[in-house]
Amino acid sequence: MTNNLKVLRAIKNISQEELAKKIAVSRQTINAMEKGKYVPSTVLALKLSRYFEKPVEEIFTLESTD
Amino acid sequence: MKTQFLFPNKYKKLGWILFVPSLIIQLIAILCELSLDNYLNVKVLALYQDTFGNKSHFFSIIQNSISDELLTISLIIGGILICFSKLKNEDEYISKIRYESLVWSTYLNYGLIVFFTIFLYGISYLNVLFYNMFTLILFFIIRFHYMIYKLNSNSDDE
Repeated sequence: MTNNLKVLRAIKNISQEELAKKIAVSRQTINAMEKGKYVPSTVLALKLSRYFEKPVEEIFTLESTD
Repeated sequence: MKTQFLFPNKYKKLGWILFVPSLIIQLIAILCELSLDNYLNVKVLALYQDTFGNKSHFFSIIQNSISDELLTISLIIGGILICFSKLKNEDEYISKIRYESLVWSTYLNYGLIVFFTIFLYGISYLNVLFYNMFTLILFFIIRFHYMIYKLNSNSDDE
């Protein structure tokens, strides 16, 4: 699964630390998601979707291997 | 995030306070071949007592040094508190690391037991089983904290 968190974050001009605080996770979690090392739970994905005001599908995309 | 079966963060410190001194005392006792049997000799209740040359008894009061018992209990409780107290920023990614570290250390622990079962016999093997009381906890503590350390050091904001 890929995501465009980094791009969305850049558009909103918000740091990993700030985003982490907004959705109540650690900064490392945001970092790991951006690097594609971690696939978030549904709860976390929906929180991100609410924060960026975009549907989950526009943030996360399935890959052919998924 | 809701987490089941984990202690609050403040217990982690208590865990270190119990675990580190007992580990150091235990290591010194092992390395210097000291016996702790002369300290804290008190009467204790034994559910089952079986010594060489004597008849075995159920529920007997015996004289025993409780220093090694205290050390063992302190190591185990301290270790468990270190392992399973929440981190300050416990979230779902940390839980994943916690889970993976637990699987990893269980494999290592039982891998070593299998190895020593094949290649060690007699008293040495009994020693392995004795140390094994603490090794799973120890491997987990090392692995988990190493992974968290690695996470903190190479996740710079880009």
